[in-house]
Amino acid sequence: MSSASEIAPASPPRDGTSGPRDTVTGPSPGRRPGSRRARRAVGTAGHHAFLLVAVAVMVLPVLWALATSFKTAGGVFDENPLPLPPTLDNYRVATQDFPVWRLLLNTTVMSAGVTLLQLLIAVPAAYALVRFPPRAHRAVTAIVAITLLVPPQSLVIPLFLMISHLGWRNTLPGLILPQLFGTGLAVILLRDHVRAVSPTILGAAALDGARPFEVLRLVLLPILRPALGAVSILLFITAWNEYLWPVLAAPDIDHATIQPGLAFFLTQEGPEYGPLLAGSMLATLPIVVVYFLASRRVTDAFMHSGLR
Amino acid sequence: MEERGTRHAPPVGRARDRARPWLYLSPLLVALLVFVYGPLVFTGVLSFMSWNLTAPHPSWLGLANYQRLVEAPQFPHAARNTLLYAAGMLPFATVVPMALAIALWKRPGRTSAVYRALLFLPVVLAPVASAITWQFLLDPLSGLVNVVGSWFGFGPRNWLGDPSSALWSIVLITSLKVVALNVLLFGAALANLERGVIEAARLDGATEGEITRHLVLPHLRRTIVLLGLLSLVVVWPWIFANVAVLTQGGPDGSTDNVYYRLFTYAFTFFDAGTASAAAVVITAALAVVLGLGLLGARRTNGEPVPFTRRLVKVGAARRRQGKRSSVLG
Repeated sequence: MSSASEIAPASPPRDGTSGPRDTVTGPSPGRRPGSRRARRAVGTAGHHAFLLVAVAVMVLPVLWALATSFKTAGGVFDENPLPLPPTLDNYRVATQDFPVWRLLLNTTVMSAGVTLLQLLIAVPAAYALVRFPPRAHRAVTAIVAITLLVPPQSLVIPLFLMISHLGWRNTLPGLILPQLFGTGLAVILLRDHVRAVSPTILGAAALDGARPFEVLRLVLLPILRPALGAVSILLFITAWNEYLWPVLAAPDIDHATIQPGLAFFLTQEGPEYGPLLAGSMLATLPIVVVYFLASRRVTDAFMHSGLR
Repeated sequence: MEERGTRHAPPVGRARDRARPWLYLSPLLVALLVFVYGPLVFTGVLSFMSWNLTAPHPSWLGLANYQRLVEAPQFPHAARNTLLYAAGMLPFATVVPMALAIALWKRPGRTSAVYRALLFLPVVLAPVASAITWQFLLDPLSGLVNVVGSWFGFGPRNWLGDPSSALWSIVLITSLKVVALNVLLFGAALANLERGVIEAARLDGATEGEITRHLVLPHLRRTIVLLGLLSLVVVWPWIFANVAVLTQGGPDGSTDNVYYRLFTYAFTFFDAGTASAAAVVITAALAVVLGLGLLGARRTNGEPVPFTRRLVKVGAARRRQGKRSSVLG
């Protein structure tokens, strides 16, 4: 943990660019306000250097994929990362030779369905576990936590047999419902957020005569909004990028999702890297939109966090 | 009004109070029973059977599937690799994203919002797409990583083709996604930390290092443990996609892991029995590790320390160092 605080950019000793501070404090060692201001400036520089390096490392692969998606078929293997001249050929191939729009629609419906159902199940459960735990709440928590350890691959064979018997292959219920096996994660994460909410606020509402469901809907949900934003982003993206289950549940191209759809570019008539990357960018765009819509909520929390 | 009065009538109220939690919990319990515990039991039963998924009925086999797992060299080897993956991934699930999240949280505003949004990008890139991207970036001849390395005098390497570097290459590729996701989750945990107290400590002359150590880190202790343990579960689909696209477990089995093994048994060889036995072994091992981890976490984390007491700690630390508040002193 102490190593983490050292990495935190605002702590001066870790900083590589501590030169300016020395030049300021050197001539007038006794004047603390000046040295403090200098130290803060150095801290600011270190702060941005730290974050910029991190951003560069994280964003580089995405930028590379974006640039390459505009390259000509021959230029994909070029050392120059820039697409010169840029072309939309890859996008044309991706949208005309493959039903990318259909796949994206299917994926959107599936991901929204999985996220909504998981939240509908997890929020009341997290609320109950914190506010009025039943006597067996330890057992319930254990039952939920254990589901987090189960590798999804080990459930796939029975779930596949289940939806086959119900005739649910290539249907939305078959695609969505089995993915509820991941609901435990939402419950555990939300439980911690509910626990962090002051009991005084919820208790006061109850004393004012609000029923438990009213406390949940009118008091807890508004407080939890940033946490719900963060958790639903996680759930939506998990569902969106799910690969294994859609392969088995919806192999029909009209009902498939974008992730197995992307693999089509790899297997059919040799790898088509340009169209694959173009399709990937189209598959990524909706999540970026979702994230930017919801991330404003997450950032809002930083301005209105005077709750406790 | 009348209705609210009846809530205090003891017999009715007590029965309702006792039933209420189950009303809120029942959808969850039903979902988990149908989609986790039922299939899990079924997998357990299958692990004693021989079934190629196309035959009409499985047939009883006893412990032969488990015996095959232990005696063939692949599975124990894959298990060792899995431990290496987990150990390599741990700092990227805890310390690195926490440092980034704290840095973002320390200076709220538009710049941090932009940083935060950009840091999340690796998660949104489709798994197949990011794997393909890295195949190009790590290319032994024209890959950008080797090009940049040559500027600093490093010779070209076949990162994914060399058994000594393939696993760690997969770890580093996948770590971007883990860092990105956990920056978001650490950020959500920090959203519950009251900013006013930090401002007060700052006005009082506490350095950023002291604020981090005594106010921010104690708040995150639970989150660190939780996300560290969760990473043992959530990283595998990402690692799986990278292994499946880039190395298929090779070279020389150096990137193989138990999850990829399980997949190979089930969907390459259609051997439901051996795959189920592998699933049982993986689940049991994870259960032991995470169970011990969560127990340990509960022991070290009681009630969160109240802010006032943490503030006193900051003051005490400053007094020990013989500093005086530059604002008040």
